[in-house]
Amino acid sequence: MVTLDTKQFDNWIDRLSEDKNIQQIKRLTEVISSDAEPEVGQTPKEVIWTKNKTKLYRYQPAIKKTNKVPILMIYALINKPYILDLYPGNSLIEHLTNKGHDVYLLDWGTPGHEDRHMKLDDYIMDYIPRAVNKVLKTSKAKDITLLGYCMGGTMTAIFTSLYPQLPIRNLILMTSPIDFKDAGLYSNWLDKRYFQLDKMVDTLGNIPFEVIDFGNKMLSPISNVVGPYVSLADRVENENFVLNWKLMQKWLNDGIPFPGESYRQWIRDFYQDNKLINDQLVIRGRKVELANIKANLLNISATRDNIALPHQIAPLNDKVSSKNKTLHTVDTGHVSVVTGRKAINEIHPYIEKWITENSK
Amino acid sequence: MTQTTSFDAFTMWKNVYEKTESTWRDAIQDTLGKESFAESLGQIQSQYLQYQGFLNKITESYLKQANMPSRDEIANIASLVINVESKMDDLEDQMDVNKFDTSKEIEQLKKGLNNLDKKLDKVIELLANSLVSQNTPKVTAGPIITAATNSTNAATNAATSATSAANAKK
Repeated sequence: MVTLDTKQFDNWIDRLSEDKNIQQIKRLTEVISSDAEPEVGQTPKEVIWTKNKTKLYRYQPAIKKTNKVPILMIYALINKPYILDLYPGNSLIEHLTNKGHDVYLLDWGTPGHEDRHMKLDDYIMDYIPRAVNKVLKTSKAKDITLLGYCMGGTMTAIFTSLYPQLPIRNLILMTSPIDFKDAGLYSNWLDKRYFQLDKMVDTLGNIPFEVIDFGNKMLSPISNVVGPYVSLADRVENENFVLNWKLMQKWLNDGIPFPGESYRQWIRDFYQDNKLINDQLVIRGRKVELANIKANLLNISATRDNIALPHQIAPLNDKVSSKNKTLHTVDTGHVSVVTGRKAINEIHPYIEKWITENSK
Repeated sequence: MTQTTSFDAFTMWKNVYEKTESTWRDAIQDTLGKESFAESLGQIQSQYLQYQGFLNKITESYLKQANMPSRDEIANIASLVINVESKMDDLEDQMDVNKFDTSKEIEQLKKGLNNLDKKLDKVIELLANSLVSQNTPKVTAGPIITAATNSTNAATNAATSATSAANAKK
């Protein structure tokens, strides 16, 4: 009979499980593959109006509203509504409602194949005006504050210029592109001579989120694809970092399709023809003139934003007729302007203070 | 003195990334910014869309042969539902407007009725006064009221007897 002494092998296996590298790999694998996704959008809310897939939420209705001017938030057509209410303690909506503001959000919902003919005109002329009326009716307020994020901000600016008769007191735009003369790499990729816009919309109907996401990630492929995993591997033992990492990844990878006709319009009228800043944009037969905007304006741009470049945002302040207008530049990226440490500590309080001062 | 250093794969990975990322990024950004890249991207996009379009046609023709609804047909039904919902929404809006108008009208109607009520009271008062002045000489307040009451009763009795006679004739 042959006996083998496996003690040394067992010891090696035991030591292996205690090895820092192995523990890191184990945790890294868990985070990427098996950990539950964080629960987002937890601030209590009620639905006060619906239309097609769109819902209008009112946040924390039970909390006493000390600020009389309600805030209506409008975000991009390709995102999900929780981006402005990411996680408890890391949410712009939660911050504002806790400070006594009456906050509403227009959730676009996920467009189906039947919504492929929806144009920006429909969202701007049929959905936003009604939402504004519902907010004014529910809050019994005389004025309203509009807050738009990214493309939602561009749509909000268009809406505000088309409806000067509405009582829009404050307009806050966060990283919302207005001038598309130089849209960075997008200007090259979406060149009319090469980009098959019509064929794409006609063939695909709604544009899948993956296509949009591919374009965004291509802006900086290494730091967008490899970078997050290097950071995660480095700090995987820090649970707080892991939570924030998961939240950021959920935001970035959890989008919705772009309604086909809206996409056609967005690329052609904005990226290819740059109509908005030049007063050439026509929405349902009405010319959009940004000079019609008279509301108090807070325009926020982010220096490290490669989706809405700072020089695409700033020109709005020169176009509007508002007497009270501020261009606020922050040292963040496109997403970290709303979420993360800097947003929580600096940007959310800044917005809250600005709204309070301009709502008296 | 001996010093043991353990191999840390993650630190190495991070160091390699940090040292090479900027070089890679610059090279890639240069390529992504070239017109030739946009042209190539357009060609790949065109080929993909041609393939997808072909696939769409094949699928649609198969569904037609198999007597099954296509995605467009199902979407059309969804559109009809959305249209109905839109009409409901319009109605709701109109009702909100009408509700406001109706409440105003009801208020006006209430005021009108109140005025009418007051006027009727005055008419009754005047009638009573005129009956009193016709039937009774001005003596004291007591007999006047009694006389007025008596004359009213007499009129009521006459009316009752007239009604009874009419009923008897029937």
